[in-house]
Amino acid sequence: MDELYLILATLAFLGGFVLAVVSLRSEKPRKRGLNISIAVVGLVFQSLFLHVRGDMHGRCPITNGAEVLVFVSWSIVILYLALGKAFRLSLLGVFSMPMVFLFQVVAILYLLVADPGPRPVAVLDPWLELHAAMSLLAYGAFGLAGVAGCMYFFQDRQLKSHRPGRLFYSMPPIRYLVDALVRLLFIGVVLMSVGIVAAFLMKTAPARGHLLISGAVWIVYLILLVTHLVKRLPPKPLSFSAVLAFAFALLTLSAL
Amino acid sequence: MSIFCLGVNHKTAPVEIRERLAFAEKAVPQHLVEICGIEEISEAVVLSTCNRVEIYGGSENPAAALDKLTEYLSGHFAVAPGEVEFYRHEAVAAAHHLFEVASGLDSMVLGETEIFGQVKKAYATAQTTGMTARRMNKLFQQSFSVGKRVRTSTRIQQGSTSIGSAAVDLSEKIFGQLNGCRVMIIGAGEMSRVTAQSLLSRGARSIIVSNRSFDKAEELASELKGRAVRFDDWENCLDEVDIIISSTAAPHAVVRYEMIQRVMAERRGHSLFLIDIAVPRDIENEVNEIDNVYLYNIDQLQQIATEGIERREKQIVVCRAVIEEFIREKGIEALAGWPDGRGGGVPDRIQPETMARPLTNP
Repeated sequence: MDELYLILATLAFLGGFVLAVVSLRSEKPRKRGLNISIAVVGLVFQSLFLHVRGDMHGRCPITNGAEVLVFVSWSIVILYLALGKAFRLSLLGVFSMPMVFLFQVVAILYLLVADPGPRPVAVLDPWLELHAAMSLLAYGAFGLAGVAGCMYFFQDRQLKSHRPGRLFYSMPPIRYLVDALVRLLFIGVVLMSVGIVAAFLMKTAPARGHLLISGAVWIVYLILLVTHLVKRLPPKPLSFSAVLAFAFALLTLSAL
Repeated sequence: MSIFCLGVNHKTAPVEIRERLAFAEKAVPQHLVEICGIEEISEAVVLSTCNRVEIYGGSENPAAALDKLTEYLSGHFAVAPGEVEFYRHEAVAAAHHLFEVASGLDSMVLGETEIFGQVKKAYATAQTTGMTARRMNKLFQQSFSVGKRVRTSTRIQQGSTSIGSAAVDLSEKIFGQLNGCRVMIIGAGEMSRVTAQSLLSRGARSIIVSNRSFDKAEELASELKGRAVRFDDWENCLDEVDIIISSTAAPHAVVRYEMIQRVMAERRGHSLFLIDIAVPRDIENEVNEIDNVYLYNIDQLQQIATEGIERREKQIVVCRAVIEEFIREKGIEALAGWPDGRGGGVPDRIQPETMARPLTNP
């Protein structure tokens, strides 16, 4: 049943992306409400998947690579739904959907090929649960910051080319993209800081390698954010760093 | 009982004719009373803008009403027979025409929104004067619904249609809301003034004007509520502004690559938008290669405007389909010729005692 939920969620995100592309190419204006509704449907199926897996393990469902990818995807979707409008970022969802789709396809393949099954623990440690949940939510924020960075490059290229296409008019202004990117970095760093503090309060000390990798991701983003706040990085290096940092964070996920 | 429309617009009459036929705003209520005094006309709305003069009305005999109305206009505005070719629409054609007008499809700038407000105002004036009854009330209220539907369900408003609007649209795609954006004009020409006014109308502030003739700079600065700076001093103000409009008559580049590079180093990542509307160009082309600097010259802005117009023209078919769908939804009868005795309690013809006072507030 859990795999069915995941497949339905993945299909919803694929459908949402395809619909958005068709709508952007059509002569009629895009119905933003429809895209949001589809994202909500996808989120519901993602949540059902995580709920079933959580029940199976008796704890936060991040016991293998597939679950971690789905949890990160869930964080991306929930943050987009919560913040997309507040940050005035139209098309953030459209640009995020391919990444979410890709993560979930990998997760489905992983589960189909090598689902390790239930991995219950004898005693539940709330600090461990908090550490895991906050860290992966932070990954969601970093993922969205990377998407905002990509959108900045796209819009900058359109402006520099002097031949803006149809998508140009539906995209947010580059200033909003940079502002949103910084806010997402801030949210991500705060969430990850909470996660790291929680790690030190765990009943059993976390594995040294795990702590080093988490710390490395946290430090990379902290340096990026502080450098920007102090020296005000120009938008291009800032966007490039956000994309690069997320690529690094993704690589560390496989190690975690 | 049916509806009709008679008028001229920018497509059918030159400005010399339109200005002669234009109704003075204050005189419209009196004209409405006179028009409704024509035996064949039971109710009327006058729409008079710089691009059109149109009279919509309800009548038992639209053909006769249109003839009488033509006579009235010719007599009142001293138009010789054959001098003006009024277009005449009856029944659904009249409704269809009003719907296109309210949707901006019949405007000089395709898809512009100002006409929607003008149609609303024309109807309000007629209603306040007590010159509308069932048909005009329903027709105009439906025209507002159509206008809104066309604008929300098509891309008729998307894209720029002039150099000024292209400059504003690009500015908004760089800075978002222009509230707080600072603008500098180098060269106090007409194009600079128009472009700056477009930016000001969207919230830009703090205009700095520089010109070789300081008097002219002061004059334009005063008009735009900005400040003038001497021509040998504008370079020192570069770090204060977000948008630069340049249109000097200099035969060589005025804004150079090194200048902008130096300024950008101090702007801490803030973007700079340069609009070069001078020929020969004022700003070195290489400036566009600097990060966060966006340079557009007059040809590039014109190209965007041309593409915007083409894009809007392609939308006409989509907009007309929306109007047709609306007419199908509502039914031809409902738009153009409600049979007598249909409910509502509003009379088919305005009663003499309702004249010169609002129907809705007797």
